[in-house]
Amino acid sequence: MEHSGEVILDLEGVTKVYGSGEFAVAALKETNFRVTGGEIVAVMGPSGSGKTTLLTIAGALLRPTTGTVAICGTDVTHMNEGNLAAIRRERIGFVYQSFNLLEALTAFENVRIVLQQSRNHTGTPAADRAREILETFGLGHRINSLPKKMSDGEKQRVAIARALAKDPELILADEPTANLDAKRGHEVMELLRQKAMELHKAVVVVSHDNRIREFAHRIVWLEDGRLHDHHPEDHRFV
Amino acid sequence: MLLVARKNLFAERVRLAISVGGVALSVFLIGVLLSLFRGWNQQVGGFVEKTPADLWVASDGTTDFLAASSALPGALGGKLKFVPEVDVVSPLIVRPMELYKSGNDPKDTFDVQFVGFDPVIGLGGPIKVESGKDRPGPGDIIIDKETSRRYHVNIGDRVIKGTKALNVAGIASGGDFVYTQVAFVTLDTAVQFLDLEPVTMRTFYLLTLKNPKDAPLLAHRLEVATPGAKYILPGDFANETRSRILGNILPILIVVLVLAFIVGLSVAGLTIYTATVEKSREYGILKAEGFTNPFLYRVVFEQSLITGSLGFLIGAGLTLLVAPFAQDAVPQFVVFVRWQDILGVAGITLVMALVAAYIPVRRIASIDPVTVFKG
Repeated sequence: MEHSGEVILDLEGVTKVYGSGEFAVAALKETNFRVTGGEIVAVMGPSGSGKTTLLTIAGALLRPTTGTVAICGTDVTHMNEGNLAAIRRERIGFVYQSFNLLEALTAFENVRIVLQQSRNHTGTPAADRAREILETFGLGHRINSLPKKMSDGEKQRVAIARALAKDPELILADEPTANLDAKRGHEVMELLRQKAMELHKAVVVVSHDNRIREFAHRIVWLEDGRLHDHHPEDHRFV
Repeated sequence: MLLVARKNLFAERVRLAISVGGVALSVFLIGVLLSLFRGWNQQVGGFVEKTPADLWVASDGTTDFLAASSALPGALGGKLKFVPEVDVVSPLIVRPMELYKSGNDPKDTFDVQFVGFDPVIGLGGPIKVESGKDRPGPGDIIIDKETSRRYHVNIGDRVIKGTKALNVAGIASGGDFVYTQVAFVTLDTAVQFLDLEPVTMRTFYLLTLKNPKDAPLLAHRLEVATPGAKYILPGDFANETRSRILGNILPILIVVLVLAFIVGLSVAGLTIYTATVEKSREYGILKAEGFTNPFLYRVVFEQSLITGSLGFLIGAGLTLLVAPFAQDAVPQFVVFVRWQDILGVAGITLVMALVAAYIPVRRIASIDPVTVFKG
């Protein structure tokens, strides 16, 4: 498995505390996490372990209480909202558990709208690029379909197409198989792995679905806000 | 961006219809009320403005043409004829009264503003004769075409008050005051018909001047020279007459206009707010994808503007379509649609759309994109 070696996501000493005083809860504790280009990392852990907090900090949506976050070598820890939005727009693609497509837009429009906002996308017109990527994902026949007319598997494929269309360096996937049956979950993960490898993207998949492990280069375990390279109670995961 | 706004709006057609309907109703109400105001404004002052006099003479305390409580001595007319700047002096006897058509129930009366004038001088008579005689003879009356239309009185009919009757000899236009119309007779007929005592008493004198530009200065001079009489420029007298009618109606119209605005604003605001709340997860997704707040605000403003534009087009269209026919159903519904007012209503609609988007925009500002990762 080839990795570019270029660090795309770098979390150093990241702690996130919600609330204050006696109500303070630490969701992440002194976490160091690094992902390089072409690498697929699965972050696994039980509910409430801090997976979503890790993902949203990595996705420049949430600021850490302490520590630093760098995306593609840019320290985003203290960036203002406008610059964080630009980082998300240009550098990060999200894949969500519940697909999160815009219900009033067709598959094509869902992909195109994200492309139109991204500066990465130059050259090919957004419409051509959106059509092209949907066809690549086997969704040519669904281009003009609304999400409500699509199966869950198709919706997730559109969501992955949307995430990859703007050519971001980092893909963050939150429980991408949670709402899919085993077959569709496998297809979607295979697609994500294949495209991420082809396009040399850094991918972080947060899940508590064990089936994810077979698609990852590396698995890390999150429990009680602490990240481990192996299951805290099961050394088979090393 | 326009795509998101348009798609979101048209995805929920019932809500869009309610929202557009609310704005359209509001625009229609505002448009009709403004046109009604313009129509009345034009109509009520029309006769006074179109009568080609340079000065109206009335007794002190007289405010307008309709509440014609003025009483001037006949001798004043004689004096005014000798003023060097004055060209023509025309006496008028004016009284509001009720008449009924011969053959109808005596209780089935209609109002007229009875005007006795000197047909030889002509000043103060009908603005435009539509049919029949252009000057009344003894025992004749020339009625307004609006009186004829509303009460089915025509040339050859007789109109009665008490034991006295007049023969309808002509039909004129330009004397409609909406709730009453001018009807013309000769001075002598007026004196007899009203049993005027003293017979030389007059309500107004109309003056034309050799040089109309002298009117303001002459009015001031004559007021000093003839105590008890006031000299009013036609424009001022027309405005006083307007405010007699519209002064009482205007505050009500303003209240209804404000209510119409609030109805439109509330319907548009509530539906756009509901749509925003319903789509708040999607706004969260767009925020997570790196769309900035100003972009999302523009989506809401565009939704609001589309709703406002559709509402305006329907409401203004209805105003233009319905207003001209309204008078056929309700004679007092005199409307005059001006393009300037339609433009003004467009401005009001724009304000409505912008204000309606304000609270939804605040709602969007508070959406945390992190929430899209929950469930």
